[in-house]
Amino acid sequence: VKRSPFKRSSDGTFRVRLSAEERQVLRSLPEQVRQMMADEDPDLVRLFPPAYLDDEEHESEYQHYMREELIKRRLESLSVVEDTVDATHLTEEQVLMWMRVINDIRLILGTKLDVSEDNEDATASLHPTDPRAPLAALYWFLSFLLESTIEALQG
Amino acid sequence: MPAPLPYVMAGPVAATAPATMSAPTISPAELDEPTDEVAVDPDRPWVVIVWNDPINTMSYVTFVFQKLFAYSRQKATKLMLDVHHKGRAAVTSGPRERAELDVFRLHEHGLWATMQQD
Repeated sequence: VKRSPFKRSSDGTFRVRLSAEERQVLRSLPEQVRQMMADEDPDLVRLFPPAYLDDEEHESEYQHYMREELIKRRLESLSVVEDTVDATHLTEEQVLMWMRVINDIRLILGTKLDVSEDNEDATASLHPTDPRAPLAALYWFLSFLLESTIEALQG
Repeated sequence: MPAPLPYVMAGPVAATAPATMSAPTISPAELDEPTDEVAVDPDRPWVVIVWNDPINTMSYVTFVFQKLFAYSRQKATKLMLDVHHKGRAAVTSGPRERAELDVFRLHEHGLWATMQQD
């Protein structure tokens, strides 16, 4: 039987089944993302893409006004995940925030691991001693959680 | 106190990892350039384009299209497949302010979205 960490309940909330160890991993992540945002870490490139490719004036305007708002929204979601990391039930709004945080971290890890169309599968079979193995394990764990949030939200 | 954290994201992964991060796969040169110098009609609609990327999953992209634009599962799946197979898809269009809001919401969800006048 396939494990589903997130499941919609009949009352409209979502049941969360994660081990203490898994929750500990999730607990460790939001503060790291916050720090990377404060440092303007280049591995966040996929979280803040350009809106205009050939229109410098509009692009700089977009970055000026929207980047701050994007950061604000992300900080809110990171706080919600931190505050509810031990919860056994979440509201739909909270699951959507978890989903976005989980996906943001996948994007950061995928960028760090240089995931491409051709090599994503390669990150699934790294040798345990490979220095990238812990990040790849986290990437696949978050991919599994992401899929579960989507299935629960669509269910 | 919690045990030392096993996953530290900041900093280089390893000396063996590629020295440069995966660059965005889009460059302005890949866009359709205007074929003439005629001034752009300000009333022409803006088109929101989502580009293929290797990290966002097919199910996530489909879900985001359904959620943000209230598209049916069928329409969202078709757009996702266009992104996947053709490299990009136009997902919404409209006045600039509206298109910019759509781009913002897509960026909030980690999708690679840009906008350009039709």
